[in-house]
Order: sequence, then C-alpha cells, then structure tokens
Amino acid sequence: MSTPVGTPRLEAASERANRRRGLLLALPSYVYLIVLFAIPLVFVGVYSFASRSRTGKPELADWNLDAVAKLLDSTVLQIAWRSTWLALLNTVLCLLVAYPFAYYIATRRERVRNMLLLLVMIPFWTNFLVRTYAWRVLLDSDGLVTRLGEGLGLWGSMLFSAPAVFLGLLYGFLPFMVLPLYAAIERVDWSLVEAARDLYASGWKAFRRVTLPLTRPGIIAGSILVFIPSLGAYVTPDILGGAKTTLLGNYIVGQFLAARNWPVGSAVSMAILIVMLIATTVYFRSGGRTF
Amino acid sequence: MTAIAVGIHSVTKRFDEVVAVDDVDLEISDGEFFSLLGPSGCGKTTTLRMVAGLEFPTEGRIDIFGEAMGLKPPNHRPVNTVFQSYALFPHMTVAENVGFGLAMRKVPATEITERVHDAIDLVRLTGMADRRPKQLSGGQQQRVALARALVNRPKVLLLDEPLGALDLKLRQAMQLELKDIQKEVGITFVYVTHDQEEALTMSDRIGVMNEGKLLQVGRSEEIYERPANRFVADFIGETNFLSGRVEESGVVRLAGGQLVRAVTHDPVGTEVTLTLRPEKIHLYLRAGDVAPGMNTLTGTVHRRLYYGDSLYYEIDFGFAHVDARVENAPRQQRFEPGHEVIAAFSAQSAEALAE
Repeated sequence: MSTPVGTPRLEAASERANRRRGLLLALPSYVYLIVLFAIPLVFVGVYSFASRSRTGKPELADWNLDAVAKLLDSTVLQIAWRSTWLALLNTVLCLLVAYPFAYYIATRRERVRNMLLLLVMIPFWTNFLVRTYAWRVLLDSDGLVTRLGEGLGLWGSMLFSAPAVFLGLLYGFLPFMVLPLYAAIERVDWSLVEAARDLYASGWKAFRRVTLPLTRPGIIAGSILVFIPSLGAYVTPDILGGAKTTLLGNYIVGQFLAARNWPVGSAVSMAILIVMLIATTVYFRSGGRTF
Repeated sequence: MTAIAVGIHSVTKRFDEVVAVDDVDLEISDGEFFSLLGPSGCGKTTTLRMVAGLEFPTEGRIDIFGEAMGLKPPNHRPVNTVFQSYALFPHMTVAENVGFGLAMRKVPATEITERVHDAIDLVRLTGMADRRPKQLSGGQQQRVALARALVNRPKVLLLDEPLGALDLKLRQAMQLELKDIQKEVGITFVYVTHDQEEALTMSDRIGVMNEGKLLQVGRSEEIYERPANRFVADFIGETNFLSGRVEESGVVRLAGGQLVRAVTHDPVGTEVTLTLRPEKIHLYLRAGDVAPGMNTLTGTVHRRLYYGDSLYYEIDFGFAHVDARVENAPRQQRFEPGHEVIAAFSAQSAEALAE
C-alpha cells in the first residue's frame, strides 16, 4: 500500500466526503429556500426602489427613493404604531393565558401531558381562515358567544369590534406561546424549586425567583413567535374586525392589490422585515443567554 | 439529658400502594451527627424529606425540638437541606445562592453580606463569591450547597447523600471536613447515605434502614460488632454466615455438627445464623499455636485472593465456606490452596442471629 492508514491525506478525504454527504442532505431545503424565499425577497427589495407607472406596473428603469420616503409619511407611521400596539397587547395576553396552562401541562403525568399537548395542536388540522369564519359565526348577533353574554347580561355582539379582534388573535396564536413555554417549564429541575422552598421562599417567591428566570428562554421564544405574526396579522382584523381600522397587514395588501403601488408595498414589507430582524436580535441577546 | 432535636413517631409514608417508610420511630438528640444508612429505595431519603417538609407522612408525627410539624411547609421549618445534586441556582452567583435564604427571611442587606462572607470562608471558598455554579468543580459546588444551608443557622441540618457525586479521594477529605464543620457549628446533622464506611467513620449514631423499616439504631461499634439481624450484618462491612441451632445459652451447634461458643440471645433449640467477620478469624497450621479459649474449626484453603494490604483465604469446612482476612504484615504466615488449616475465633466475635 502506498498510503498508510491514518495519514493526514486520508483524514482530509474522509472529511470532504462527510461534508459532501451533509450538503446532499440539506440540498432540498436549500433549493426550496433559495427559489421560493430568497429570490422573491430580492424582488421585493428591488421593487422598493422602483417607481410606479401610470398603469400600476413597477418601473425598474428610473429607480428612486420615493417609496422609501413614504415610510416616514404620518399615515404609515400611525398604522405601524397601531399594529405594534396590537401585536404587543396580543403577546402579553397570550403570555398571561399560556403560562399557567403550560405550567399545568408540564406538571401532569406523562399520559395526561401528551393528551393535552395533542389537544393544543388539533386546531392546526383545520385551515386558519375556516377557523376565523367559525369565530365570526360564534360572535354574530345570534351566535353562541353573544347569546351567552346576553344571558349573563355581560356583553352583546362583539363582532367587528376590538374585543373580537383580540379574541381571534389570542385564539389563533395561543399554541405558538403554549408550546415553547411548555418545553421550557418541562425542563425545569424541580429540586431547585424545592431548594428555594427549603430556603424559606413561599410558593410565590420560589416561582418569582427560580421558576420564572429559568423559563425565560421559553417566554422569549414564545413572545417572538406570537409578536411577529401578530404585527402583520391580516385575516383576523379583516374578518372579525370588519377591516374598520387599517393595520400594517391590510395596508400592504391594499398597496399591492387595490392601489397597485408595488414599490410602496415592497418598501413597507422590507421595513418591517429589517426592524423585526434588529428587534429580535437585541431581544435574544439580552435574554437568551444560557447559564 | 440533652433535648430531642428530631422526633419521628410511628411515621409511615405511602406512595399510592408502595410503602416507602414503614412505621418508623426515632429520636435524634441535639448536637448529634446521625446517619440514616441503607440501600437505595430503603426509605432513608423519604424520611429526610418528611423532616424537611418536602413530603408529608401518611401516618404518624414529626417533631422538631418538641414542636409538632404537622403540615407546615418547608419554608416554615427550622431546618435546611443539602440536596443530593446540590440544587444550586444556576442563574445566581455563589454569593446570591448562599444569601438566598437570608434574603427570603428579610435579613438586612448589610448583615446578609457579612454572614454570606463568613459562610463562604467557613467552607473555604474565599474569593469565589462572584462565580456561577457552572464555573465550579463538583467539590466546590458541594461546599456552596453546604454554605447555603449553614448560613441560615438552622436548628437541624439535613444532608441527602451530599458526597455521592464526588470521587473517592475528595469524598474522604470532605468527610473529615464535614465532621469538623459540624463540631464547629454544633448543630444537629441528619445525614443520609448508602455508603457504610462513610456512616461508620462520621456518625455519632447510625440508623440502618431497609424496605422502609428502621432495623437498628446504635453507635458505629454496636452496629458493626452487634448487628441486630442478618440484613444489618450483611449490609455493614463483610461477613460470613454459618447456620446452626442454639444448644445451650452461649453455645451453638453448627450445621456440620461442631459446637462453638457464641453470643446468643435466643432460647435453646432456636435455628440461628452465626455472623463472623473475616478479620476476626485467625488461621493456624498447628493446633498448638491457637490461644486457649478460642473456638476452632478445621478446614482446607480453597482459594487465596491478594488485595495488597491484606489477603483473603476462602476456607472450606465441608458444610460451609468462609472468608478469612489476614493482614499483609511482615513475617505473617502465608497459606497455600490445599493446606489444611485451623480457623480460630473468639466467642465474642460470633453473633447468633435468629432467622
């Protein structure tokens, strides 16, 4: 044999082969992401600097900053502000509802736990649009929820109002909060909580000082998973809110379809993307550290 | 008479249908180093957790310094625990870990700083106050856990296999250190372990448990020299068992027909098992060398095992095999397999246990 076993050349060759195999495994995902995600995103980015022809066709020839400048327009800023508030409020609502529930699931016996997790995921089997229309029926003037509220004398029909939108958003995004929280709480070493109790912490103090900090990665992951789609929410405010107020989601849709102003739609989309990218990076850096 | 620090009265703990602790009665004196010793699953940790308030007895009562604990939660009990896996808070520094209990009890900040500093010095971790648990070695983490409990000056310190995760050399060093610390602070230690050597060397008294029952309570010598039953004799150290029957008080007839003098507690005719420690057996080639008054049994050397500091001879008596341990001392007689030898032991070293 000319090359003895274990020489650097053989080792390098084996590493190259390993890398090739790895690339082969990732290839379908790469193709998918590049063709259907990266390239269209580049289009959107480029269109942000295009101008709108009289027929509504984006003109790439004389590119300019008109669409980007529109971002600082008071109407757009107002819409962005409103959407941010809506998304923030929805995130907080989801967190408040999901944390106790995730805690409850994580502290059950394994069989009960798996059952409950399945129940959390079942709604995904039905299309989101269909489920939102179902809420419309429930909230309508002769809907189940409305009649219950009237029976109790507490509320009337909430359809096409802010509470209806929040109800719909909470319903739609709750699983995205429950699942990461569950994963974080399930990993908690309960002997730490016992140690806190042993060191004179009340049940609430032990939660505040030990359980909550230890589950922070789950809180952060869940918040991001809810906040981002809430910011661009379109279906829920449109169907349950009656599209009475303009949010970022329906503003962008309007620019692309009704106003046929692709450059402005693209610019707003890109702006959200960039702001979210920066915000999540900062958020992860601040709280995502491991111990 | 000293006060009773921990009183466990007819305590039983059941988990669903499993009896973890079975009708245990135990009183631990103030200032005592008391060990609960037994194999895993014997109920020793559950007993400790019931004293801490992390579990509650199904039946019975637990008192701490005369006060009935009832269903008091752990934060209202004058005890602190050193947990098996240390359970240090990973998101806090050493100083924050140690100061946690004081902060929870709303001790003034300046006093916390001072006491935390002293506690860290006591366990010889000076200069480590700002580290995170992850940056410490196993032995150092163990010390933090100890300081975190001691800083609160509990009336009773509960330790759940605190040295279990350490390697042998470190464990032996920590055993001495723990004993010194206990003397220095003078509080009652209740120490759970499955390591019999650890229990024998550290404890004032030991309680041996198996299958939820407390089998024997006594000083190290009592437990080792005068085991109450076969399990205790077998679990603590090494021993040989020889079956026989009580012939008269202080005399047992072995299964091979020989009469030997032994410590008996049972009436004539009772079937008993003699327990005989390997190091209590002396081996001779000639009957004339045996000191007068010793029991003798004649057998053949079946096997010899070399342990460095000692040699083990497996002796075949025909009706039973026993192991005899001989120090590897200079001028000590060596025996070869096949030799006929005389095994001699005193009456005091053979304890007759009823089945």
